[in-house]
Amino acid sequence: MPVDLRCALFYSGKDIFKNRKIFIIITLSIILATANIIVINGLINGMIEDLVDNTVESSVGHLNIYPDNNERFIEGIGIKEQRLAALKEVEAYSPRISATGVLSNKELSVSNTILALDPDKERKTTKLLEKLIRGVAVNSNDKNAILVSSRLAEDLKLDVGDEATLAFENGIIKVYTVKGIVRTGNLDFDSSTIIMPINEAYRQLAIDNMASVILIKLSDKSMTEMYRPIIMQNLDVNNIKTWKEETEFISNFANSWRSISSIISGVGLIAAAISVGIVIYINVIHKKRQIGIMKAIGTNNAFIFTVFLMEAAIFGVIGVSIGDFLGYLAIKYFEANPFYDAISQTWISAKFESRLFYIVTIVSFVVTILAGVYPAIKASRVEIIKAIWGT
Amino acid sequence: MEIIKTSNLKKSYMLGKVEVKALNGVDTSVEQGEFVAIMGPSGCGKSTFLNLAGMLDTPTSGEIYLEGNDVTNMNSNTRAEYRLKYIGFVFQFFNLFNELTVMENVMFPMMLNKLSDYKDRSKELLNLVGLGDRLHHLPSELSGGQQQRVTIARSLANNPKILLADEPTGNLDTKSSIEIIELFRKLNQEREQTIVMVTHSPEIGGMADRILHFRDGTIENI
Ligand SMILES: Nc1ncnc2c1ncn2[C@@H]1O[C@H](COP(=O)(O)OP(=O)(O)OP(=O)(O)O)[C@@H](O)[C@H]1O
Ligand SMILES: [Mg+2]
Repeated sequence: MPVDLRCALFYSGKDIFKNRKIFIIITLSIILATANIIVINGLINGMIEDLVDNTVESSVGHLNIYPDNNERFIEGIGIKEQRLAALKEVEAYSPRISATGVLSNKELSVSNTILALDPDKERKTTKLLEKLIRGVAVNSNDKNAILVSSRLAEDLKLDVGDEATLAFENGIIKVYTVKGIVRTGNLDFDSSTIIMPINEAYRQLAIDNMASVILIKLSDKSMTEMYRPIIMQNLDVNNIKTWKEETEFISNFANSWRSISSIISGVGLIAAAISVGIVIYINVIHKKRQIGIMKAIGTNNAFIFTVFLMEAAIFGVIGVSIGDFLGYLAIKYFEANPFYDAISQTWISAKFESRLFYIVTIVSFVVTILAGVYPAIKASRVEIIKAIWGT
Repeated sequence: MEIIKTSNLKKSYMLGKVEVKALNGVDTSVEQGEFVAIMGPSGCGKSTFLNLAGMLDTPTSGEIYLEGNDVTNMNSNTRAEYRLKYIGFVFQFFNLFNELTVMENVMFPMMLNKLSDYKDRSKELLNLVGLGDRLHHLPSELSGGQQQRVTIARSLANNPKILLADEPTGNLDTKSSIEIIELFRKLNQEREQTIVMVTHSPEIGGMADRILHFRDGTIENI
């Protein structure tokens, strides 16, 4: 005789709603566990997306040419730039030099990355120079001006108009005036970068016609794979990375973050599931006699098992769907209303991802149901005679 | 027609290493439409017999026939289905589902048996036992005698061939006991319901068609 699900549901429903307080508390724990996972992951997704956006906007081009292995610089960039300019889909390009230095203001000093670029070319390629929070950008012929990233400026107590001493890696020391403060939202960049015109870097480092990287902007971001071999051939370069490859480290980093947060949220979910299991288990113990009567009336073991598993399922369906709903609302709220995080000095918003949503729903539901398995087995094994005679 | 027949029915329990012979060779039969009382001293095997006849338990040896079918070795799922369709139980202590209303208690076996008119039928049965005005009460809101009447209504839900009652009045005062037993009489006479009832009370036993006297796991011939 197959289990009559309607009858099982009829009884489970009556049984589960009989004690409202317990029902509400247990359901609440599932709701919170589910909503928590959705919100946390939504916020991580939001942060990751912002990070990728910021990085793509200010630190990388659609395609990025790097020196060959074992070389520090790309040489002969003059010719390469001419060839780039001739390519139809290349909208703009910007060679950059990166070097290291130590910036000091009175007793304070911090080692930093010197990013040297041609402001005019850079403007056409990235939005880096739009990220000024104070002051103005450097010009290509500025000789004594630099831009300082926001956290570096804070650490050195520098502001627009202040003077700071920069020691280059070759030992040259020169005083510069801070012309502007830059903030990109990328923590790494913001904490230790100064920007200067590329010509000034050439002069101080005694080099010319070189670059550490050439950022390229294509007319279409999605053409990178197609264009990479063309540029390799035309410019005779070997080492080109797409913006996706450049931001890969962010997704790797995000995934490890996600694993950690999943473990933490998983603990909450399991705690909720265990409480479901315990409540049903206690119920089974209290109900032995009624279970015996139910069997005497003519239900089989499979039916009894189904009744109590169904109780877990009811907790699951109600808890998970409300949790889903609240989690969804919270994510939509944070999508529309990002909040400011003082520690990372960034705006944090959330990102809704339906795949994640489905996974959380299924996992929460399955975990809750699993919690009902043991009590349900226990119930199905109640012996009629013993139960009815109360032994 | 013999609706219940047992042949050399034995049941023993192991209490530690000691074998307790609860039934020691019971040969008996109950006819369709009979109202039989089982009496005898405590521990003589009355409940054990009823549990075996009701397919709640399996014998150590011997055979049980219900309507001529050997049901001794049926598997537990088949026995459950058989109980649902053909047997009604009333036990001494109150056996209702606390979280279901009176009417739901009576409906439940009919739902299990996939009857469609369970609402009307449960109202009819509750009218029959005189509780037509308590349909939506919870068992805890009824007196002991009323609860026992609900149990009887529930036991009749699927029109069982056999109604088995183990000391159905054991927990009730005299007035309620008489009401119950009169209900049994009525069911037996008006609906030709076969009833096998265990009781300790000679007056109540006396209202049955026939009394089976049990002693030490067997039936005494008086
Ligand atoms: N589950 C069990 N385990 C061990 N012994 C049992 C068990 N059930 C019954 N017995 C024993 O079997 C014998 C018969 O018990 P049973 O319950 O059938 O007696 P009874 O005639 O119904 O008694 P009462 O009038 O007190 O209800 C008793 O000696 C009892 O102790
Ligand atoms: Mg007994």
